[in-house]
Amino acid sequence: MSELRKFTLVYAGLLLLLALTVSSSFIDLKGFNSALNLAIATAKAVLIGLVFMQLSHEKTLPRLAVGATALWLIVLFGLTLAGQ
Amino acid sequence: MSTSTESIAFDTAAREKDADTFAMWVFVGSEAMLFGAIVLVFLVARLSYGDAFAPASRHLSLPLGTLNTAVLITSSFTMALAHMCANAARWRATIWSLTATALLGVVFLGIKAAEYTMEFHEGIAPVLGAPFIYDGPDPVHARFFFSLYFAMTSLHALHLICGIVVVAGMLAMWPRTVNSSRVRWVGSIGLYWHFVDIVWVFLFPILYLASR
Repeated sequence: MSELRKFTLVYAGLLLLLALTVSSSFIDLKGFNSALNLAIATAKAVLIGLVFMQLSHEKTLPRLAVGATALWLIVLFGLTLAGQ
Repeated sequence: MSTSTESIAFDTAAREKDADTFAMWVFVGSEAMLFGAIVLVFLVARLSYGDAFAPASRHLSLPLGTLNTAVLITSSFTMALAHMCANAARWRATIWSLTATALLGVVFLGIKAAEYTMEFHEGIAPVLGAPFIYDGPDPVHARFFFSLYFAMTSLHALHLICGIVVVAGMLAMWPRTVNSSRVRWVGSIGLYWHFVDIVWVFLFPILYLASR
């Protein structure tokens, strides 16, 4: 697949996910709306990270930086929310 | 600048590019911790004062927030195209893509400014000494919601302004730079730009869709 085609597909996918998150907000999912919104936001972030930021092609060091960031964010959110 | 590397610290252009990319990812990681902390403050406040936050969130403009998300996603797309064109040494297309990216950033800021103006007129902007007039439930914690909204969106806007300035600066210096530097610069600013987009991707649902 050419790079242009890949970027265009991801762009269309991101707009589709945006439409999905906005339209789902008009449906009462019994408390699962926020979870769905965060799941869709995470999916968008993964698409941008892997394709637009080309993380899928990167070498070990950039992946290590992303892994370290994820680890510290998990510690930050995990320890704080565990006490809630 | 006759050598293949911009800095004398590197033996080869490939090593210089790897160092640039790694440094940008570390920088993006530190920025993620900054935004992560403020998002966490918001989430904890939302868990504690959900009854005040949900109705307060309805005062934000969902159509403008959605439009702005689409604008920023489009700017990320044009930035990805700029990187692709720079790798292929298609310089004219790179310049157009970078210009489109910066202009979309300006459009985002314009829409955000329009939103801020509406919120100041409505009296729900408890910043810069403006009066806070709110007739919904629990105005004390609703005020906290709007304070966090302005803190988070203005911090994001500040990052976007920096991105626009760097892209504009890069375009201004374009004729005086060698090709290998152009590719690395576009790659580095691209990583930053996409990160700022990712931050908005999370800010949009937690702020605008908090009531839904």
